[in-house]
Amino acid sequence: MLTPAPSVLIIEDEASMRRFLHTTLRANGYQVIETASAKEGMIHAAGRNPDIVLLDLGLPDADGLTIIRALRARARTPIIVISARGREQDKVIALDDGADDYLTKPFGVDELLARIRVALRHAALPPGAPPRPVFESEGLRVDLVRRQVFRRGEEVHLTPTEYKLLGALIRHAGRVVTHRQLLHEVWGAGFVEQTHYLRVYMAQLRHKLEADPARPRLLTTEPGVGYRLRDETAELDDRAIAFEVQE
Amino acid sequence: MPPIHPADSSAIRPGWQYAAAAVIVSATAGLGILLRAHLTTIDMAMLLLLAVVFVASRLRPGPALAAAVLSIFAFDFAFVPPFYTLHVSDTAYLLTFAVMLVVATTMSRLTARIRADALDADARARAAVMVSALTQDLAGAASPADILDVAARHIGVIAGGGTTIHLYERAADGEAVLPSTGALADAATHIVATWAARAGQPAGPGTGRFEDAGVLIVPLASDAEPAGVAVAVLPAQRAAISPADTEVLTALGRQVAAALDRHALDARHEAARVEIEGERLRTALLSSLSHDLRTPLASIEGAASTLLQAAALPHADRRELAETILAESRRMTSLVTNLLNMVRVEAGSLAVKREWQPLEESLGVALLRLDETLHHYPVTVALPPDLPLVPVDELLIEQVFINLLENAAQHCPSGTPITVSAALRDDAVEVTVADRGPGIVPGSEDAIFEKFHRGPASPDNHPAGAGLGLTICRGIITAHGGRIWADSSDGSGAAFHFTLPLAGLPAAGVPAEAAESAAAGKS
Repeated sequence: MLTPAPSVLIIEDEASMRRFLHTTLRANGYQVIETASAKEGMIHAAGRNPDIVLLDLGLPDADGLTIIRALRARARTPIIVISARGREQDKVIALDDGADDYLTKPFGVDELLARIRVALRHAALPPGAPPRPVFESEGLRVDLVRRQVFRRGEEVHLTPTEYKLLGALIRHAGRVVTHRQLLHEVWGAGFVEQTHYLRVYMAQLRHKLEADPARPRLLTTEPGVGYRLRDETAELDDRAIAFEVQE
Repeated sequence: MPPIHPADSSAIRPGWQYAAAAVIVSATAGLGILLRAHLTTIDMAMLLLLAVVFVASRLRPGPALAAAVLSIFAFDFAFVPPFYTLHVSDTAYLLTFAVMLVVATTMSRLTARIRADALDADARARAAVMVSALTQDLAGAASPADILDVAARHIGVIAGGGTTIHLYERAADGEAVLPSTGALADAATHIVATWAARAGQPAGPGTGRFEDAGVLIVPLASDAEPAGVAVAVLPAQRAAISPADTEVLTALGRQVAAALDRHALDARHEAARVEIEGERLRTALLSSLSHDLRTPLASIEGAASTLLQAAALPHADRRELAETILAESRRMTSLVTNLLNMVRVEAGSLAVKREWQPLEESLGVALLRLDETLHHYPVTVALPPDLPLVPVDELLIEQVFINLLENAAQHCPSGTPITVSAALRDDAVEVTVADRGPGIVPGSEDAIFEKFHRGPASPDNHPAGAGLGLTICRGIITAHGGRIWADSSDGSGAAFHFTLPLAGLPAAGVPAEAAESAAAGKS
C-alpha cells in the first residue's frame, strides 16, 4: 500500500527560486503548494495541512520568526528555513524558536531533498516514541540499549560526556542542532553560553569516530549555527523508489 | 666719535642726564678759567663747543640743548669782555653764540636719529631671529596640532606668559566664529579677540589698542581670512609689552597663519590625490568585475539556451552543459562572496565575534567546502594534538582557510601537495599553508596582498581570481590582531603564514572529566 505523496508548502517571495523548488520537488514526487507572501502562507498552512513547510526568512511582508512561532503554536509540521549566508544569527534564532532545519542559499538539489526527507522522517515518529535501539551511519554503529559504540566493527570507548553528546546528536540525527540546544541537553541550562565546551568535546568525538578528524564526514560543523550528525538511512530516497514501483 | 650705545643713554634717568650735562659744561668752563693765561677766546669757544658736542652725542636732545645754552652763558660770563658780566661788548660774539646753539641742536638731532635707527635695526634683527626660529620650528610641524603647539610656545616666549591658540570654527549657521571657550569665555575678551583677528593687529596692554584688556591678543592672520588668535596672559611683573615686541608678535602671527594655510592647502591636495586614486581603483574594479561576472554568465546563458533549443542533444552533451552551468554558478557564488567580504573589510564593518575554538573545526569546514576544488591536490593537515584553543570568529577564519587553499589550488599544477600546519609561538598560534607549486614571483611577497593583484596565469588554465582573496585574508587576520605574510623558497613552492594572538578574550577552561571511563553502563 502506498501512502499519498507528501505535500510541501513553499513560502518564498522570489519567483525564480519558487520555480526551481516547485520543479525539483514535483520531479521528486512531492505535491507542491506555493505562495509568495507570509499572509497567504499562513492561510495555506492552516487550510491545506501540508506535511512540511519551506520558509524563506527574508519575506517582505512579515518577519520569518513570527511565522515560525505562529505555525508552531498550531502544529508540529516540520519547518525548513531558507536564508542567505552571513545571516547565521537569524538561522540560530529560527532554529531555537522551533524551525527543524535550514538551507543556505545557494543550495543544491541533493541537500534540499536530504533535509526534507530527514525532517519528514522525524515528524513521522509519534511524540514520545521510544528511540530506535540501534543507530547506524557511515561506519558508526551505536547500540543505544547496551550503550556500546562501534567504529567499523571495533568498539570505541567514550567518556560519559562524549556519550551524552553523541546521544543528543542521535536523537536529532540528520538534523542540525544548535550550539545552545546541545549545551542545554548535555551540560544543562546554566551552560548554554559555554560554546567552547561543546567544541572541545566535539573535537574529541571526531578523533574517536571519524576516519579523518580534519575532514569530518559524520559529525559535520554547521558554521556559526551548530552541528549535524549525518544519518544515511534517513537521507535515503525510499520514496523515489516507491514511486518508480508505482509507475 | 665713540660708538653709540643707545641702550646706555636711555638707561640713565632724565634728571641725571641734565645734571651730567651741567657738570660737563661747568667742568669745561672751570678748566678754561684755570688755563685762561694760555688760551685765546677762540680756543675757549672751541673747548666749550667740544663739550656741547660730547653731551649731544651721548645724551638726549633736552640735556644737549641745555648744555648749549649753559655753555653760551659760561662763555659770555667768563671769556667775553667785559669779564664776569653777561654784557656783550662786541656784537661779533653773538655769531659765536648762534653757532654754538646750531651745532648743539644739529648734533643732538643727528644723534637721536642714529640712536633711533640703531634701535630700529636692533628690533628688526631681534624680530628676524624670532621669526626665523619660528619658521624653522613650523617647518618641522607635521600636523595643524603641531603648528598650534609651536605657535603657542613661540608667542608665549615673547609675551612671557601662558599662551593658548583659538582657531575659527564654523557656527551652526555656517559663519566662521571664534570659539567662546577657554581664554575666550569672557565676552569682552571675545570681542577684542574678534576685532584683533579681523584687523590683523595685536591688542592688549602695550599695543596701543584695547590697552585695558586683561590679556594680550595676537591675530593669526595672513593675507587670506584670519585663522584665529593667540591669547597670552602677561606675567604679573609685566604691565605691557614694548612696541618692538608688538611688531614681532604681529610677524609671528602672520607666519603661523601662513603655515596653517599651507597645511590646509596640502591637505586639500592630498584629498584630491586620494580621490583620484580611489576613482582609478573603482574604475579598475568595475572593469575587472564586469569581466569576472560576465564570463561565467556568458557560459551559463550559452549552456542553458543550448539545452532549451537542441532537443535531440545526446545525453552526455546535456550532462556536460548542465555541469558547466553548475560550475560557473559556483564560481560566481565564490566571487560574489569574496566581493561582499571585501566590502565588509574595506568599510571597517567587520564584526569579529571571537570564541575559543579548535582551529581544526574551521579548517575542516573549509576543506569540506573545497572538496571539489581540492580534488586533485593532496592536502596534509599537521595540527599538533596539544594546540590550544584560539579566540577567533569561526566564519571569518574559515574564509581565510578557504581563500588560502583556493589560492594554492589556483596557482599550482594539478597534483601539487598542500600542507596546513600550526605551531604555538609565544602568545600566538602561527598557521602555515604551504604548497610545492611554482612559488611567488620574487619581490612581490607584499604586493600579492594588495587589492586586485593577480598572480601569473596558472599552468592548468584555472580561471583567474579577482585578486581579492589575499586582501580579504589580510583584513580578517588584522581584525583578529594577527599578522599575515608570505614567503617562497625558490623552486619549492609558496608558504602563507598568519598569526592568531591568544590574548584579547578571557581565558576559558573546560571542566575535567574522568578520562577513560567506558560509556557502557554509565551516564
